[in-house]
Order: sequence, then structure tokens, then C-alpha cells
Amino acid sequence: MARGLSRQAAWTAAALAGVLVAAGSTGRAPVVAAQGASTQPAAPTAPPIITAAQAAAGRDAYQARCAACHLPDLGGRNEASPLAGASFMSAWRTRSTKELYDYIRTSMPPGGATLGADEYLAITAFILRSNGAGTGSSALADATAVPIGSIATGSAPAATPTTTSAARPAGGPAAGAQPARPTTPPSRGLYVAGEVPRLSPVTDEMLRTPPDGDWLMARRTYQAWSHSPLAEITTSNVGSLRLAWVWNMNEGGSNQQMPLVHDGIVYLTNTMNEVQALDGATGELIWANQVGPNRAVGFGSMRNLAIYKDTIYLATTDAHLVALDARTGRKVWDTTIADASKGFSNTSGPIVVKGKVIQGLQGCDRYREERCFISAYDADTGALAWKFHTVAHTGEPGGDTWNNLPDMMRQGGETWIAGSYDPDVDLTFWGVAQAKPWMPVSRGTRPFDAAQHTASTVALNPATGQLVWRFQHLPAETLDLDEVFERVSVDIGAQKALFTIGKSGILWKLDRKTGALIDLAETIFQNVYSDIDRKTGRVTYRADILEQKIDQWIPSCPSTEGGHNWQAMTYHPGTQALVIPLSQSCMEIAARKVEQKAGEGGTAAGRRFFEMPGSNGNIGKLAAYDVRTLRELWSVEQRAPFLTAALSTGGGLVFIGDLDRYFRAFDVKTGKTLWQTRLGTSVQGFPVSFTANGRQYIAVTTGLGGGSPRQVPRTIAPEINHPSSGHALYVFEVGPR
Amino acid sequence: MPFTVLALGLALAVAQPSPTTVRARLSPVPIDIAMAEAIAGLGTVTATLTSMTLAVEGTYRGLRSPATSVRVLESAAPGLRGTLVGEFASGGGTSGAFKGTVTLTRDQVAAFVKGRLYVQVQSEKAPDGNLWGWLMPAKGRQ
Repeated sequence: MARGLSRQAAWTAAALAGVLVAAGSTGRAPVVAAQGASTQPAAPTAPPIITAAQAAAGRDAYQARCAACHLPDLGGRNEASPLAGASFMSAWRTRSTKELYDYIRTSMPPGGATLGADEYLAITAFILRSNGAGTGSSALADATAVPIGSIATGSAPAATPTTTSAARPAGGPAAGAQPARPTTPPSRGLYVAGEVPRLSPVTDEMLRTPPDGDWLMARRTYQAWSHSPLAEITTSNVGSLRLAWVWNMNEGGSNQQMPLVHDGIVYLTNTMNEVQALDGATGELIWANQVGPNRAVGFGSMRNLAIYKDTIYLATTDAHLVALDARTGRKVWDTTIADASKGFSNTSGPIVVKGKVIQGLQGCDRYREERCFISAYDADTGALAWKFHTVAHTGEPGGDTWNNLPDMMRQGGETWIAGSYDPDVDLTFWGVAQAKPWMPVSRGTRPFDAAQHTASTVALNPATGQLVWRFQHLPAETLDLDEVFERVSVDIGAQKALFTIGKSGILWKLDRKTGALIDLAETIFQNVYSDIDRKTGRVTYRADILEQKIDQWIPSCPSTEGGHNWQAMTYHPGTQALVIPLSQSCMEIAARKVEQKAGEGGTAAGRRFFEMPGSNGNIGKLAAYDVRTLRELWSVEQRAPFLTAALSTGGGLVFIGDLDRYFRAFDVKTGKTLWQTRLGTSVQGFPVSFTANGRQYIAVTTGLGGGSPRQVPRTIAPEINHPSSGHALYVFEVGPR
Repeated sequence: MPFTVLALGLALAVAQPSPTTVRARLSPVPIDIAMAEAIAGLGTVTATLTSMTLAVEGTYRGLRSPATSVRVLESAAPGLRGTLVGEFASGGGTSGAFKGTVTLTRDQVAAFVKGRLYVQVQSEKAPDGNLWGWLMPAKGRQ
């Protein structure tokens, strides 16, 4: 305790000495501006190195190639870092224009595609121009190398819009540009008309106890088991598993889909907010509706759909919730969840509980008056039923855990993975992401400011949205070790357990009635926490993490890849085992300075990655844990990270895919590989199993795009190659056609 | 004092009755994707502790610039940067081999046993480290 107090005192002293405190007469709001750095941009001292024509060309290329992730105003979102303003300058001021050009050329766009050298140079010039670099007669060349701080300030020239016609958040780093709607081609709408021949309305009872051959929601059941009871495909015959049909999907953006299947019809989301209905036995397209917007978002996918009665529910990347007629694909209603022009979006879909469509929210990392929330809508009309805000404001429960920051600067708390539900206790469980910016020294909180309700599990009454309990896994989370992922309900005798695991790699076992910790286990090597109390779950950060400073590189195992990420675990009831996709990598992370004003914020950290000590270069790990004891039953390690969720079946199998294009079946009892094939590109998404015409199928998507699970192996395992296109749905079967 | 030294030596002799050998993979130090243009490669290292002497030998390949030296460092935990224990010359070139010995203190022997020593290959373009790998004797590691 004395040690903790000492650190608290040291942090307070540092804050007083090095932090600009702007507490007003109200006695609230110490506003952190910077540590050891002026907020006033210095005037450029070097002559111009870019031309106006080059920057203009770069503006157009940027809007076409980069804005989907980094946003039209260069403000960044989540792992797509800001490219203008104080955060950008904090990261790049002392680095050269050549380093910036080389970074963009070698790493962008994600997924392996490349641009021409002139286009890379133009985009670099545009970024420099957007940060105040002057223009002249000299054009940026690949060998041009001057310190960025000598030509740029972080402030865009007032007369130079960074966008041509794209909307951007008010108060963003490029204030002064003309706000307008994004220029994207109109969506195609219902471009293939057809009708599902036979569809039985999905009832509440069917959602509670799904037909064996259906996959009706995210991870198939309310309990989020990612398990199919189907047993036609077994450990004995899986060796003869073969392709039944394949369906190419929209390219561009991030493909991490989980098909929904009902009555033998596969409902498939595509990038650019499109839903297709396919015959599960033949792959024949029945209807297709591109709801739109017609825009690929590189770091976002639409991972899941929901169904209730005869309606399909799609959350869009521009933060709308859309209901489609499951028979015809026609739009039934469309409601706005949040204002997309302010950066809000969705990357996962809803669950439906007793007539309410419950949906999370993404894109909550910028300073603004609005904050993140979970919301519920009437399934028939789309009318808002309730909202639960995931970040506590002043005067609310937990509102005193943000170092008295102004409410506008309390951000994060996204819910970017669909929640789960337990009918027995009538609670819906959601993981809440960490606070933003990622690191306390950037966001203006101290290492002991818990920042409620971030990095938590929240249990809500599905009828009202009322918070029933909350368990904060990582108070004051500080390294983007997100705990937002799946919540899995398992009954172990009389014990009603709720399992979850985040990037920290800690497998948490909670009492889902009360939120009390039952047990925990570490699944991978970590060096972040000097102590993890197995009775309380309280973690103690390493001393140098608590004493972090702006621009200081801090080592962390695991990296932002996790531990565990969005690739969900499966629960196999026959063996009482959780089978969990894990990753083994490390990083050094450096907090960036953030200006405490509207439109700023973001994640605000630089990262460098390296292999996890002791892993022998094996990034991917798949491991099974006994739900009673949390003891590891078996594990498989390999060089390529696993990029799909795990699917277990009644046939005693676990299916999973990886970056290196392999899709494999393992024996759930032993971890032995029983079958494998290699697909067109990296296997990414959520495998499912279903029946059509009485036959069992296994389906999985291939895909590109994503955040750390793609960025980390691209950096530390560059020898793993895959095509930079190939989004598709592959469907497998056994036996004769 | 001589008695103390003798006692320590005896204690270590008991703790290290036979040479302890650890093998590790060498891979790039922390990088972003642009830094990979200067920092790349792979290697292996074998370290054998006999009494207070750590014999280190290994190979490397695929560096972007010639290797300059090999360091043994001690960190507070695997994955954290540490302090220099010893350094010797590498074989040079972007591929090659190295071999050297480092005399450890008692505390450094303890650090080795706990997997807190690591080997780092320096190169011309990466003077602060190009490849590294922790000498971790734990089951299933390295």
C-alpha cells in the first residue's frame, strides 16, 4: 500500500510540475496539455519542399485511398493514427520527411496493396501541407529528407482545405475546411430482387434454443458458445471434407464476417454495407441489397447480423441500424444510432432480446460532447427504447474516476463486439473498451483513475438498459489491452459462470448473477503486471508503466494484437473446454501529446512490435482450458496468427483459420490436426456450421484488413505472404454431392 | 572476505553442478514497418553457463547491414530493455556466426537462471540493436 501511495504522490508531483493545469474557479477540470512541450506551433524554418500541385494531387489520392480509415480530416480513428495536428506532430516532429514517405510507402494501404511512387509522394506532400508545410517550386522526391518539425507546425493553412467534399468532425485538426457529405457513389440498393422460398419466423423461443441447423445470431447462441451441435461431420470423416461452393465477396475494407443461417438460407454481410441471401446448399444468390453507404472502411468490418421474426438487422458503418425483410431484402426501417459525421460507426451488429434490438457503438475516441453508448430499439419499428452510456460523466456513478476531466474529454468505452445474453438471469453482457486516448499521460488521467466504465464487463437489464453490475477488469487501462471481446455463459453445476478474455491474455471467470470474480488464469506470457491477485482480480502495473511520460517508449508483452482479440473462443460442452485463439507478440508503445480541445483525442500512441520472448517466433496459439479449473488441457502453437474465431461442433471438432491461408480442423479433445486446406487468401472471420437440405456444412470467410491482428504480423512476420484480394465465403461438406 | 568469496563460490558450485545450456531464437528488436528497411534478419544463439562463465555462440542471416558486435544484457523481465553485461565482436557481414564468452557476477548468474539475460546482435544500421533473443530455460520456451 505504501508503495502505491508513493507512486500516487510522485505522479501528482509530476503533474503539477510538468503539466499545464487549467483548473477554473469551479475547482474542476485540470486539463493536461503536454509534458515538457509548448502547445504553440513553432514557425517553419526550412524552405518549402513540396509544390501546390503535388499537395492537390495528394489530397485527391488521400481521400480515395486513405480517408476511409484515417478520416477525411486526417483526424484518425482507433488504430489509424491522426495525420494532422498535435498528435501527428508529437509523433513525427523530429523524424524526417523521408521517414514519413518510407513509412507510408512500405506500410500503406494495409492488406498488401501498393500505390505508385508518385501517388505515395503526393499523399506525403498532402499530409505535410495539411500540417502547415509551405509550397514552392521544389517537389517532394523520394530522397527528400528534412526534419518535419522544420517545415510543418501541425496547423493547416487557413485557406487550404484538406478535404474536397468530405464531411469531418467539427473542431478537428483541419478546422477551416468546407464540411460536406462524403463523395461516394450512390449505393446500389436492392440490386438483385428475389424471394426466400420458405422462411419460418424466428421466435423468442428459437433464439433461446436455436434449431440445430441454424446459426441465428452472433456466436450462434445467447450464451455465445460459437458451438454447433451438428455431428454429421466427425473426427472420423472430417478427412474427406471438401469444398461444396464458394462465393466471392466485395473487395476493399476489412472482411471479418460471421454468416447468419436460418432455414438453410445464408445471410451474408459484405463490406460497403451490403447484405446477400444465398441458398446454403448451392450458393445461389436469392437477393442482394447494398444499403450503403458505398464506402469501404479499412479498419472496420460488419461482423454479424441479427434476425427476429422475418426481419434481418444490419448495423452500418455510418452508425445506422437497418431492418430488412428476410424474405425479399427490402428495407423495412432505418434508424440513426449516432452521427457518423462526428466519427461514430459500427463494426459489429446487434443481438435481439425479447423484441429489442441491442446494439453497440464504435468511433468514440475524439473529444466531443457526445459519448459512447449501448442502445436498444423496438424490433418492429426501430424506435429507441433505451441508452446506456459506457463512460461516466461528472455526477454520475463512477464519474469521480476521471481525474475531474471535463466531460467532453472522457472518451473511449466503445462496444465494438456484439454482447451476449443469459435468459436465466435475464441480463445482457457487454464488453466495454478502454478509455481514449490509450495512455493516461495522454488523456490526462493518473494511473489510479479507473475511468469507469471502460475496460469492463457491464451487465444490463435488457428491458430497460439499467446497469445491474459491472466488473472492471483493468482499472486505468493504459496500453490498449482491450477487454471488449466475447462474454460466454457456462453453467458448471450450480455455478453460473461468465467467461471473457481480452488482450491482456487473462481469462476471467465471473459470477454472471453478481459480477463477482470466481477465478482467473494467465494464458500467455505477460510482463505488464507485476502482480495479479487471483482472488480479487486486481492487477498492479509495472512501475515504469505507472511513471510513463509523453514520447517514452514502454515495453509491453503482449502487444495490442493481444493476447486475445476479436477472434472469439468457443465452448465445447462435451469436454467442458473453452478453446481460445491467442496471439504471442510484444511491443513498445509511446504516448503522444494530445491537445485538450474538441475534435482532438484519438488513440495517441506510437507502437513498435517484436516477437514474444520464449515463443520461438510462434505468434499463433490455440489452447483449450477446463472451465472448472482453468487448467490448460492442450495447446497448438504456430508461426502464423489465427485470424478466425474458433468453431466447435458436436462432431468433436474445432475449426479455425489463419493468416497463412490455412483452414484446419482439430480434435477438440487433443488438439491434433485432423484436416486442413489452403484458401485463396488469409482466412479471417467467424466460421459457422449449419444444415441445408438436411446436410451439414462448415462455412468460413477469407478476408483482408483490420487493426493490430493484421498490423503486427505484417511487421514481425513479413515472410507470410497472401494475395491482396480474395474476400470470399467458402462452404465445405462431406460425402457425395 | 576471502571466506565469503569462498563460500559464494561453493554455493554457486552447488547451484551449478553442471553446465546449463539454453538455446534461443534471435529476431528483430522492436520495429515499425518502415524500420524494417534497416532492421531485419533472424538468428539462433546457444548459451552455456559453466560456473561463472557464459559461453555464447550463434548465427545470424538477413541483416540489412553488416553486424558489428554481440552484446549480452540483463533485463528486469523478458521483453524489457536491459543493461550491458558483456560484449564481443561479431563475425561481420549480413550473415555470419559469432562466438564469445562473458564472465557473470553472482547476480547475473541468478538472472540467467530466471531467463532475464538476452543476447543482442548490433549492426551498422542498427547500432542500438538489430536482433535479440532472451535466454529462457523455462519448459517449452525458445
